[in-house]
Amino acid sequence: MEESRDGGWTLVTRKPYFGLPTACPVCLPVYIYLKFGRCPFNLELNSSYPDSDQIPYIEGGTYVAYNNEKGGVIQQLKQDGVVDLDSEFSSLPEWVSMKAMMSSWLADAITYELWLGSGENSAKQIYYSDLPWVIGKVLFVKQVYDVKQRFHISKQNAEKKEEEIHDCAKAAYRALSAKLGEQDFLFESRPTSLDADLVGHVLFILQALPEDSVLRTAVLEHENLIRYAERHRNDILNSDPSSASASNFQPPPSAAQTSSSSKPKRKPKREKTEEEKRFQRKAKYFIGAQLAAVLLFLSLLGSSSKVDIDEDDED
Amino acid sequence: MAKPDEFKPDPPSENPKTEADDTDDENGDGGYEEEVEDTEEDELDEEEEDEPEPEPRVRTPQSAVRMQRAKLEGLFQRLQTQSVPLRVHDVLIKGNTKTKDYLIESEAALLKNCTTMQEILEVSRAVNFRLQALEVFDSVKITLDSGPPELPGTSNVIVEVQEAKSPLSGEIGAYTKAEARSSTVEGTLKFKNIFGHGDLWDGSFAYGWDHISELSAGVHFPRFRGSSFPLDVRAFLLSQDWLQFSSFKERSMGLSVALLSSRNHDLVYNLGWRTLTDPSQLASRSVRRQLGHSLLSSLKYTFKVDRRNSTLRPVRGYAFAATSQIAGLAPDSRCSRFLRQEVDLRYAIPLGILNSALNFGISGGIVFPWGAGFKNMPSPLPDRFFLGGNSSPISSLGGPTTVWGYRTRGLGPTESRRQLKSNDGDTEDAADPGVDFLGGDLAVTAFADLSLDFPLKWFRDRGIHGHIFASAGNLERLTQNAYKDFSLQKFVSSFRTSVGAGIVVPIQPFRLEVNYYYMMKKFEHDRGKPRFGVTFSM
Repeated sequence: MEESRDGGWTLVTRKPYFGLPTACPVCLPVYIYLKFGRCPFNLELNSSYPDSDQIPYIEGGTYVAYNNEKGGVIQQLKQDGVVDLDSEFSSLPEWVSMKAMMSSWLADAITYELWLGSGENSAKQIYYSDLPWVIGKVLFVKQVYDVKQRFHISKQNAEKKEEEIHDCAKAAYRALSAKLGEQDFLFESRPTSLDADLVGHVLFILQALPEDSVLRTAVLEHENLIRYAERHRNDILNSDPSSASASNFQPPPSAAQTSSSSKPKRKPKREKTEEEKRFQRKAKYFIGAQLAAVLLFLSLLGSSSKVDIDEDDED
Repeated sequence: MAKPDEFKPDPPSENPKTEADDTDDENGDGGYEEEVEDTEEDELDEEEEDEPEPEPRVRTPQSAVRMQRAKLEGLFQRLQTQSVPLRVHDVLIKGNTKTKDYLIESEAALLKNCTTMQEILEVSRAVNFRLQALEVFDSVKITLDSGPPELPGTSNVIVEVQEAKSPLSGEIGAYTKAEARSSTVEGTLKFKNIFGHGDLWDGSFAYGWDHISELSAGVHFPRFRGSSFPLDVRAFLLSQDWLQFSSFKERSMGLSVALLSSRNHDLVYNLGWRTLTDPSQLASRSVRRQLGHSLLSSLKYTFKVDRRNSTLRPVRGYAFAATSQIAGLAPDSRCSRFLRQEVDLRYAIPLGILNSALNFGISGGIVFPWGAGFKNMPSPLPDRFFLGGNSSPISSLGGPTTVWGYRTRGLGPTESRRQLKSNDGDTEDAADPGVDFLGGDLAVTAFADLSLDFPLKWFRDRGIHGHIFASAGNLERLTQNAYKDFSLQKFVSSFRTSVGAGIVVPIQPFRLEVNYYYMMKKFEHDRGKPRFGVTFSM
């Protein structure tokens, strides 16, 4: 797969939060995968479409890989030859079974914890904090309903389902912890997409979920998983803010999109120029004058006692 | 709906004292009748200087009829030549069992200010029309009766209404609403006067030419809480499909409140939840960035003056319209914020030969976001200006929308869509995905049109005429710092232009044109080519 025409890739994810470059548990593994593959990319954020299954997506020129196509973004990046870290392992039975376990048991556990468990506040912060309150509230309620439908959860079986999901997650943690041991990566000494999934999963649990989260408690029982995630977090996520170049694109408040380099940095608060300050003052005067004119017109017309007699025929 | 009745003087009756009894309606037209008491006529006659000699006390029926006729003729002559002083003492309302008195009284309030009979007649006609226009009465009759004997020169006005027997009605029509972006064909089901305030409740489905479909329900109060202005509140669910042109679909749901609606002014508040999606997953980069949810809270004011003799075929006169919209009127700073301004000017000059006329028109519009960091923000995609389509700029006053000959959203800034790989995996061999039309923040259109009758009478009788026209238009981006590269010279030099000729068939309320278009100047990706085409407009 050739590089994008303008020579750069752009990864669009959900907003950063909890000290993570993207706080969405679906977007974070893709981010980490590109980091493992040393693929340079720009990061742009989308906060106006929380219920989209297209996000995350990666684009370059007219090429776009959406997450809801062909097995996901990582799978498309492998198929299209952009970044393929699994070429030597993807046929191994162990690899396949671990992949299946992560994409089912652990993914379900995160989904349940976010929307039906103790991560409700985290979900609101990640997905709806940049949307107007009414829209965020309705979308959240709709999402909770959809998750219940997906897991076939009712009042009668809620507790049982929760226990099943947590048991599967705990079993997965035990297996992964046993497989990992004290290695740097799950398979040999090279990162794979499994490592991206696992690092993203553990980091999200540790940093985004509250302390009383069942998943957090379960992960904390496996210290090697904690060390493994923190080691890679320090390698991947720490960066010098001055080395990143900020793009000029700034999103509208409702979209909250920002563009930055692949190394996240904190932007210093920009001083407003005199021109901007003057323009803002003029804009406020303009809006105030418009509103005053409308109010004055309404009050003058309302005090008039004459009714126009319409001379034309009915239109 | 009962038709407004015309003024018809009653034939002279044998009983000289005509009561305000309108049950015996001889014409059967639900009539608008006016009867004058003999006592009142006697009072009027006493004011005349030359009195005819009193009739003999013993009269035959025929002579009584002749005398009555003579008096009436004399009265009508006086009405035509001089003011007949007459005041309204009281307005009596009859026939309303459900409708509140205040509603009818407020519509008839002007009658109390009348000082002459001519004025009373004219105002009565207007009041009758206004009451009929409420759509809650099957018929309205206004009768003049004599005032109290102790108050000479006065009369009582009796307003008798017949409330609609069936509160349910349906209709299909074509409308252009202030809050809509284009004209629509609409089917409506109405419930009338449920609470007696002249309230009209309706549910409707509308389809517009611009790929718009809308389901809405609303209520109309002709006078809300005693104010002189009506109040319209509508809840709507609107869907627009722009996949073919710009790779997105728009769905809006919310509330629209018409705060002020008069002949020249409209003030509408809209609160809506807007969602842009791309089910095709082919959108270009700029469109992808705009997908998602937003809240629109906006106030839109329209001022319109139309002094043309006709909107379907203007021959003389002018029209001016200006629409200002400010969005972001909510305490939540996360809603859409922008300012939008449109201006339209039309002018028609008669040429005097074959009913010909020269029509000129110019329209302009600008949209810009506001708020923190506004210079780097894009304007919302659905609120930008798009040029092209199958409507005629002569009839419509809805901002810059049309350049004759260009297809819907057929010109302006574009961006390549997502390219899919071909079956053999090679992107370069894949089919061209096309482009998305992104619209512009600044739009200007102009046209000149010469219309003239055909020599044949058959065409003239039906209003079918020909026209030759030229139009021009352009779009430009200003947001995201693009205004720094804006150059007026470059903007003017990149105007698209087209010329053509065609036949216009006025079919009320539509203006149907069958034209041939020729593009004088177009750019790459513009969707316009020499062709025949049909336009509909209202």
